[in-house]
Amino acid sequence: MANHTTRPGPATAAAATKSVRRNKIEPILFNTFNTLFMMGLVVVTLYPFLNTIVVSLNAGNDTIRGGIYLWPREFTWQNYKALFASGTIYDAFWISVARTVLSTLLNLGLTTMLAYTLSRREYVFRKPITLIFILTMYFNAGLIPGYFLMKDLHLLNSFWVYVIPSMISAFNMIVIRTYIGTISESLVESARIDGAGDFKIFIRIIFPLCKPVLATIALFVAVGAWNSWFDAFIYTSSRQELSTLQYELMKLLSSSMNANSNPAVAAGAGMTQDSAVNMVTPISIRAAATVVASVPILLVYPFMQKYFVVGLNVGSVKE
Amino acid sequence: MEETLVKDSAVRKPKKNKKITWAVLKEQRQLIYMSVPLTAYIILFAYVPIWGWTMAFQDYKPARSFSEQKWVGFKHFEFLFKDDNFLQVLRNTLAMSVINMILGFATAIILALLLNEIRKVFWKRTVQTISYLPHFLSWIIVTGIVATSLASDGIINDILMKLHLIEEPIQWLSEGKYFWGIVGASHVWKEVGWNTIIYLAAMASIDPSLYEAADIDGASRYRKMFHVTLPGIKPTIIILMIMQVGHILEAGFEVQYLLGNGLVVDWSQTIDIFVLKYGLAQGNYSLATAAGIFKTVVSVTLLLIANGISKRLGEERLL
Amino acid sequence: MGGKKKSVFRFSMLLLLSLGLVLSACSGGNIKEAAKNGNNGQATEENTTNGVEPFEISVFIGEAGQQPTPDNKIYKLIKEETGASFKFEFLAGDIDQKLGVMIAGGDYPDVMTANQKLTAAGAFIPLEDLIEEHAPNLKKHYEKYWNMMKDPNDGHIYNLPNYGVTNADVSSSWYSGPAFWIQKDVLAEAGYPEVKTLDQYFDLIKQYKEKHPTIDGTPTIGFEILNYDWRNWGLFNAPQHLIGHPNDGGVVVKDGKAEIFADKDYAKRYYQKLNEMNALGIIDKEAFTQNYDQYMAKISSGAVLGMFDQHWNFQDAENALITQKKDNRTYVGLPLVFDEGIKDHYKDRPALNLNNGFGITVNASEEQQVRIIKLLDTLIQEDWQKILSWGIEGEDYIVENGRFMKTQEQRDVFTDATWKLANKADAFFKHGPKTEGLFSDGNATDAAAQPEEMAAALREYDKNFLAQYGFNTYVDFFSPAPENDIAYPAWSVDLVDGSEAKMVNTKQNELSTKYLPKAILAKPEEFDSVWDEYVNEIRKLNIKAYEDRINEVLQWRKDTWSVK
Repeated sequence: MANHTTRPGPATAAAATKSVRRNKIEPILFNTFNTLFMMGLVVVTLYPFLNTIVVSLNAGNDTIRGGIYLWPREFTWQNYKALFASGTIYDAFWISVARTVLSTLLNLGLTTMLAYTLSRREYVFRKPITLIFILTMYFNAGLIPGYFLMKDLHLLNSFWVYVIPSMISAFNMIVIRTYIGTISESLVESARIDGAGDFKIFIRIIFPLCKPVLATIALFVAVGAWNSWFDAFIYTSSRQELSTLQYELMKLLSSSMNANSNPAVAAGAGMTQDSAVNMVTPISIRAAATVVASVPILLVYPFMQKYFVVGLNVGSVKE
Repeated sequence: MEETLVKDSAVRKPKKNKKITWAVLKEQRQLIYMSVPLTAYIILFAYVPIWGWTMAFQDYKPARSFSEQKWVGFKHFEFLFKDDNFLQVLRNTLAMSVINMILGFATAIILALLLNEIRKVFWKRTVQTISYLPHFLSWIIVTGIVATSLASDGIINDILMKLHLIEEPIQWLSEGKYFWGIVGASHVWKEVGWNTIIYLAAMASIDPSLYEAADIDGASRYRKMFHVTLPGIKPTIIILMIMQVGHILEAGFEVQYLLGNGLVVDWSQTIDIFVLKYGLAQGNYSLATAAGIFKTVVSVTLLLIANGISKRLGEERLL
Repeated sequence: MGGKKKSVFRFSMLLLLSLGLVLSACSGGNIKEAAKNGNNGQATEENTTNGVEPFEISVFIGEAGQQPTPDNKIYKLIKEETGASFKFEFLAGDIDQKLGVMIAGGDYPDVMTANQKLTAAGAFIPLEDLIEEHAPNLKKHYEKYWNMMKDPNDGHIYNLPNYGVTNADVSSSWYSGPAFWIQKDVLAEAGYPEVKTLDQYFDLIKQYKEKHPTIDGTPTIGFEILNYDWRNWGLFNAPQHLIGHPNDGGVVVKDGKAEIFADKDYAKRYYQKLNEMNALGIIDKEAFTQNYDQYMAKISSGAVLGMFDQHWNFQDAENALITQKKDNRTYVGLPLVFDEGIKDHYKDRPALNLNNGFGITVNASEEQQVRIIKLLDTLIQEDWQKILSWGIEGEDYIVENGRFMKTQEQRDVFTDATWKLANKADAFFKHGPKTEGLFSDGNATDAAAQPEEMAAALREYDKNFLAQYGFNTYVDFFSPAPENDIAYPAWSVDLVDGSEAKMVNTKQNELSTKYLPKAILAKPEEFDSVWDEYVNEIRKLNIKAYEDRINEVLQWRKDTWSVK
């Protein structure tokens, strides 16, 4: 950590004038450079997303030719129509919303609580429990053992398989733990003197103070839950009503890639110019699917941003 | 004495070495209730399925029950290590991981520092939001854009030729020596914005009085960045680095698979691609499990080493 | 604190809301579950008009696909007449992973599309007795192929092949298989010559490219090669055809013996030709670094003069050309060989599609097994086959003088994937047993093979083009398919997961991917050394294991399949 604690002494007059002079030119140079750099960054990072939106609005047949950059050459809603045609998307959307909200809330609550206990130096089990959790980041038991576990726990083909196995993440826990570490001990001390137990301290004092880090973790968890499809694929695929948005989009994408290996479908025989335009191709479906999947989550982030101003400090355990 | 909520943690009580007695357990029972059930939970979901690691020592066939499996000892490990390509594949994986890590950290930190210097809140938030948009695109889309940009008539060659740096377009994807750089650059492009989130949040918690003090001392923008901001987020950086070191064998496979081709295959194959080809695709779960065990052993070893080094240097530590 | 109370309130509202959603999803599912009753197939409370007992069949399809709409007219009809309704599940990720967990957990639905992993795992029940007892129509349908359907390991029949049971040699108007493709304009400009050999082919391309260095502003590409992801035949497969052999996968079968062709001299001859062409600038410089999308983009720009590929692989690009009204830039397939004396064997008679089609799993109750086999028996009858293939008379096709035809409108909707979800039973029909060839009234079973349809579907340009050659369809460019070897094709031989043979095959493909591009792009004087290195690497592998496995199965097929 940087040094501080006491206010520095007044600078000499000479240094003051020198710095005033330097401070006139310097910010301008710096700001110009920074602004130019940021504009470049914006262009480079905005382009792929814009391009994806454009491709999603372009006729699949035409996109194949390449050369679509920032404007659709043959505008069409067909790709989006194809996404919503099968109707399974609507239910899947709500399932995704439900799992995202639940996952986020559960994670925030439980992980923070755990992080609090592990931030208490005096806790006898602190080291072993920390180790147990950290190690989980570096191994994976495998697909089949995991499947057996879900089966034995009756989580197969159940909504809860989306939420229960992923309620705590070691990474998030570390982030929160170190943030809690920066909260002044004296607050906890005085609460203890007043007779409060750890749980009360956690709920009344620590948790409300963690808003900034909670916002960050909420974002990470929400994005993760929203984007996941693999669990739907392995654990709940035989129940269509439990499908998630991402999984539905994956299915759509895969089936459009599959469509052309069926000769009868692909035959150009009898096709006119008009009907050809209605064809969707994997590229255009993928673009539309990406837009549909990302937009909801992108709307969440601006709400989170305001918490970052208050402050978050990810540090570590210091002796 | 200052009673700020977020305070420098330099002043700490010395660590207590509590002996585990019934009295202590009773005293800390709330902490225990708050953490031990969750530990049991993670043991159930992460550690119990580890019995599946025995698959690595069998010729696992999903159809047979556990007792019917054939035991083959270290056969799969031998296959993995003795394969002609193994060392090469390992080299590729490590190289790309290290490059990604270094580039990833450097760019994210620099970008975070620069973003922090943007004065206008609106502009700052906008740039930040746009910069992480690529994170939401799938690798399929991103590599598609990368491939198009690197083509002979793509934008990269275009610019280089216009600047008279080269005379003929370079076939970027046909030269193995460029491959690692291309993968690294693609990673940065996709993830730099997202990676800054944690750093920005950390920066917001740096004591403003430090900046005031630096101003009075006549520090330029650069010096403030290096002497106030950077040290302020150093703990974050170190913790994230230690955790990342453990993931060194996770170079992934999607990017390399999508961008790779026959001409660069000696540089593009990673462990995961290798395991996919000879493991799952051949119904060989045992090989996949063996590779997983290998990765875990390496990860945990490196993690403990990194943590130890950091501790020795007096810096932050994870455990 | 007001703020805290508010956030607690918001917190609990969110919690309630999500719980509500979850409960409705769960309970909704539970009620439906109770009503349908999963694998037991017990009757629901609904009544049908025909008094037929309704039952549901759960089906897992091992490839991607979309759910048919709930009001799909064909499935509705099936339900009315037979009581059967389907609950489909499609694959959307990696099949190996999905099958792995399904097998490990023994979690199968009633019916699954066949897969060698499943058969090996004992997931399917033997069908021959069921068919003999309950499904006379199916027995008749498969009679000729009965022995071929038996599993080599234990002689049982585990799945019902969905393609390959033909009753007449009817050729479709559309050639879907592998060939050397050439842009129609190249032939047109050269005066519609007959092109039989590889050298003639490249000469034409060379000439055309010299005359037209760019096409519509894009630099002309003489010959394109794709090797991306699993699409590797464009690079690997040509040599076997050039010596007059059909597609046997990675081997050539001479006198009943299979051997790989990758290291043979005739393969060398082909790649050396490509190397020469590359030196002349005919080959696309980016052929080996491009991905599939880029390949398609180049073809659909009309600037590619030729490639070796399978038609369905680039059909989308051709459609794009058609949309741009560039018919002259679409392609015709040529069955090239090395020298005039060799007879081309590209077009082959469809072989029985083994290890594909439906199988009934061990999880289906006995009652259910019988119901399913009886249903399949019903649906293989001609009336149903007409409905499944052509559609409903009057709605999807018209009959003129006893001949089935379509209006232009009807043809158009057939290419609309969304329309099909509501009007065709493709999910079932694609994998179900089907009659191929002709119906008893002489109409083709497949609309694409109906002569009137083929004629009506030709565009002006194509009509003229074909007239120049005196052909009726593009398939006429190919020699008619000779009778298949009993054991044909070799590519359908199961290499057995985890075996030496399969591993050798993977490694060999890897070597081909690595060395062939190098060989083609090398300077002509360096070609021999690269090729020798390649062949040496191949010889280091245990190729014998691979060849032995194939020969083993081919021999078994010869022994068992000739017994009728």
